[in-house]
Amino acid sequence: MSDQSSHNLAPEKSGAKMFHRKDLWLASILIAFGAFMYYEATKFPSAPMVLGDTLNADVFPRILVVMLIVLACILPIEFKITPEKIEKIDKERNEKTIPITWITIVMILTIVSLSSFLGAALTMFVTAIVFPLVWGEKNYIAVAIYAVVFPMLVYLLFHEVLGLYMEPGVLEYLK
Amino acid sequence: MDDVLKGLSLIFEFKNIMVIFAGVLIGVLVGALPGLSSPMAIALLMPFTISLDPVAAISMMAALYCAGTFGGSITAILINAPGAPPAVATALDGYQMAKKGEPGRALGLAAVSSVIGGMISIVIFLFATPLLAELALKFGPIEYFGLALFALSMLASMSGKSSIRNLIAGVTGVLISTVGVHLATGVERFEFGIPELSEGIKFVPVLIGLFAISELLTQSKTLNDAVERMNAKALRLPTIAELKALKGTILRSSGLGTFIGILPAEGSTVAAMMGYNEAKRFSKTPELFGTGCAEGIVGPEAANNAAAGGAMVPTLALGIPGSGTTALILAALVMHGFRPGPYLITETPHMVYAIFGAMFIANIGFLGIGLVGAKFFSMITFIPKRFLWPSVLIFSLIGSYSYSSAFFDVWVMLLSGIIGYFALRNGFSPAPLVMGLILGGMLEETFTQSMVIYDSNFFKFFDSGVFVFFFILTIISLSTPFWGNIRRLFKKK
Repeated sequence: MSDQSSHNLAPEKSGAKMFHRKDLWLASILIAFGAFMYYEATKFPSAPMVLGDTLNADVFPRILVVMLIVLACILPIEFKITPEKIEKIDKERNEKTIPITWITIVMILTIVSLSSFLGAALTMFVTAIVFPLVWGEKNYIAVAIYAVVFPMLVYLLFHEVLGLYMEPGVLEYLK
Repeated sequence: MDDVLKGLSLIFEFKNIMVIFAGVLIGVLVGALPGLSSPMAIALLMPFTISLDPVAAISMMAALYCAGTFGGSITAILINAPGAPPAVATALDGYQMAKKGEPGRALGLAAVSSVIGGMISIVIFLFATPLLAELALKFGPIEYFGLALFALSMLASMSGKSSIRNLIAGVTGVLISTVGVHLATGVERFEFGIPELSEGIKFVPVLIGLFAISELLTQSKTLNDAVERMNAKALRLPTIAELKALKGTILRSSGLGTFIGILPAEGSTVAAMMGYNEAKRFSKTPELFGTGCAEGIVGPEAANNAAAGGAMVPTLALGIPGSGTTALILAALVMHGFRPGPYLITETPHMVYAIFGAMFIANIGFLGIGLVGAKFFSMITFIPKRFLWPSVLIFSLIGSYSYSSAFFDVWVMLLSGIIGYFALRNGFSPAPLVMGLILGGMLEETFTQSMVIYDSNFFKFFDSGVFVFFFILTIISLSTPFWGNIRRLFKKK
């Protein structure tokens, strides 16, 4: 039992733990972010005298950062105030992010990085063909039809009907 | 009267009617599809409506909002997978009634009670909005600051997993709104050497990222999930006798939903749950709830659609969003050059009546679509996720790029989506951040003006009775979610 609890990042129901470990990490990240933003705000120049009475640009952001830090400090003990809500959150976040989600993130980032080179039409085509296949679609004919028809319809709708400019990308050089 | 006629005449132009029906169709579709939502659809549509006439654009979004709330009940009833959060309560009895062999009756009850709830709230919206706007005209910066503060404090009781996380998200949203040039002093804030940030972080790419991309990543782990589907043969309207038996529940839920919708930040989801609970409380047969009881369907459905109309009241009259979705409609109004708040009523009153007309048509529209297209919409759930979500991604990429033809916005969208996904996993909701982002500008402006008026003495703010009133409401709304738990903590000790 004690071995299980040492790996269990959720606090034991006995209330023996002072802080919720995962929320402690989360709070640390938020506090670090807040501290960084506070430091950045101190670098803002003061309002010129010619503007007369006005609040400096750093006042409001600094108040917000202090509020953020105060709220973040409550996070690690929130499980004692609203235990049922934190249990619900723990149930979801204790499920690991599965590989397909990481792959999806990498795919999206890759496609967007290439999109200025590919252009709008090719980007849509690549998205429409890569995602279903990587996500396990076995009906290749359906994928092929979808990859051609859907981007074409979207292109026609936005470029021709709505008059939206779409970057040609590499297709410009093939004309 | 002239403004009413002008507004309604704008709506009843053929082009605008078509746009409204498009909004209704899209709303029912996205409402029906689990994973898609009205806020997401509005965020995706926003950049594309720039080319539309403002009345048409906003009417389309208002119609989408109304229809999306109903659309969620279709999948809630047929496959026990609410297409939208407000339909969660509908699923409790709607799915059970469908399992008993009466899916058409369940859909009919949901449709009719939604229409009645929506119509009642629209009438209240029509009368309450100008009255509230007239009151708000007397507000100065200090009163507006108090109101915006109260609106943000309501995030603590907004539907979500954790009040503290909602508040953190709200404050973060306000902080993000400070990026860019500070208008009062000309100082560039939080730009980190990136020239594109001098204009601030545009809300449309952030909205698309938070609602569409983060949901896409969430859905990536359920691609192979099997769903038990039930085809509805036809939507069956309730009989007059049935409606008479349910009229108390419908009227009560409609009033409750409208009131909750008017409260800042509370929307259809809270209204639906309260509508269900109150229907059960007042029912002569509460033990039947959860087994396919008609009151368990009409209660939440009337309330959640009534909340849609109610939420438009503070959005248009005060410039304070009544819900997460109306926060996006507020952003759309700003994008189209309108000034939400009392000046919208005084300067462009026809806009308010046009929105009223659009919502009126939408409520009838989704009933008609439900009657004719129930079978079609039940088949929508057969669209494989492996084709649905790449389509959403394509629309997201085009939408975020087209907003200002800036590639930087696509990266903002992606970053928002990825951070939003991990934030969702840790119990944060996107709606509070959106509220903070939308209200941030108003909050800072009114705070700055008030501090100048009162020589930077915050305690002088309490000279204003209206500010004291909103301040007390703020304290109550911040503490309400915790009362029960804090009392329990002290009892244990």
